Amino acid sequence: MATQLQGKRILIAKPGLDGHDVGAKVIALALRDAGAEVIYTGLRKTPDYIARVAAEENVDAVGLSILSGSHLELVKLTAAALKREHADDVPLFVGGTIPRGDWNALKESGVDCVFDSEMSLEQIVDEVARRLA
Amino acid sequence: MTDATAPRAPINRRALGRALSRIADAMVAEALAVLDGEAGAAREVWRCGITGPAGVGKSSLVGRFVNARLAHKRRVGVVAIDPSSPYSQGAILGDRIRIDAHGDDAELFVRSLASRHARDGLADNIANVLALLEAHDFDDVLVETVGAGQSQYEVRELVDTLIVVLMPGAGDMVQAVKAGILETGDIYVINKADRPGAKEMVAEIASVLRHPQSSDDWLPPVVLASALGGDGIAELDAACEAHRAWRASHLDAATARRTRRRAHVRALVARRLAEVTDGADDALWDVDVASAYHAVVAGLDYPRR
Repeated sequence: MATQLQGKRILIAKPGLDGHDVGAKVIALALRDAGAEVIYTGLRKTPDYIARVAAEENVDAVGLSILSGSHLELVKLTAAALKREHADDVPLFVGGTIPRGDWNALKESGVDCVFDSEMSLEQIVDEVARRLA
Repeated sequence: MTDATAPRAPINRRALGRALSRIADAMVAEALAVLDGEAGAAREVWRCGITGPAGVGKSSLVGRFVNARLAHKRRVGVVAIDPSSPYSQGAILGDRIRIDAHGDDAELFVRSLASRHARDGLADNIANVLALLEAHDFDDVLVETVGAGQSQYEVRELVDTLIVVLMPGAGDMVQAVKAGILETGDIYVINKADRPGAKEMVAEIASVLRHPQSSDDWLPPVVLASALGGDGIAELDAACEAHRAWRASHLDAATARRTRRRAHVRALVARRLAEVTDGADDALWDVDVASAYHAVVAGLDYPRR
């Protein structure tokens, strides 16, 4: 049993207007199985809500799942909301349908790591653990 | 109730979130060091527990109930506990989406906890967590337990008012809880009132409740509610206010304090026991039971800091 995320608290959140959250749930379960305590927000949350939850739950990382194509805007808004809650030191991860061409722009907006659908769950969990070590 | 003329400092979510992590993650030695000599909250805070079997709709009910408390201009702190996996130690903490659905109320703070080592429907260091919230200027502190079955005495002793939530259509439920939580609740809620059998269940629960020995005793009300539609929430809120008033006029503060302190100490010892047994060498479990027992007990104490 993998335990490399034991003791970590991770928020998995879905900002914007995505219609489903299958991917976010799969990631949440994989992180849990690696020992993390995962706070899951459900669909269609505002950046302000996500930042508030990140602060109240004192998470070690925020993972945004975005399928809608609005990732550039939603990430900027979420990063700004985290700053307002004094939680801009929390690592921000993004996954979903994110074209490679947008990765640099996301990183300039404060994203620490982008995960794409080419990565296996194992690779994602390992990468999260490496960055939170 | 707070002074309406003095503006209250807003909740510092970041600072309180961090402080809660520190106390929730603390080893027993650290928790004791924080508590040593501490007198407790300066003013009266109402502590309310919400318990009941898994799937009865506790979180949705808490969400509705929180709105009723906020409408009284009370600052509300909620601790929602979900089970940790015994295999990975991980957890999915999903209660809060039902509790703070709007997520923009300035007077509400919600914190999710995983049960970790706790086997009593609560979480590690829960007594310390609740005490910390009380010290942070909340009027109401609510704690929602893990979906619970028959033996939930610990939460009973940590709160002023215990709400037990049940639902109709689960025939075994009454049987399962008769001997356990039906002796501990101050208020019973039959949730999912729209389901068949709800009214009958109210009568059934009322009939198996402990009967008051005198007219001074509290008679637990049974409230029919629908967290989905919001029915029964005003009645639940009124029942809570009635219970608070009854406590104020009938309970001796010293006895209540002793009961709570006993529960707190017992929780700390249980946690310390888990620290010792989880950290023990395999060799400890190769000796006979009596020897292992004495070795474990001897390992519990350490010099007071």
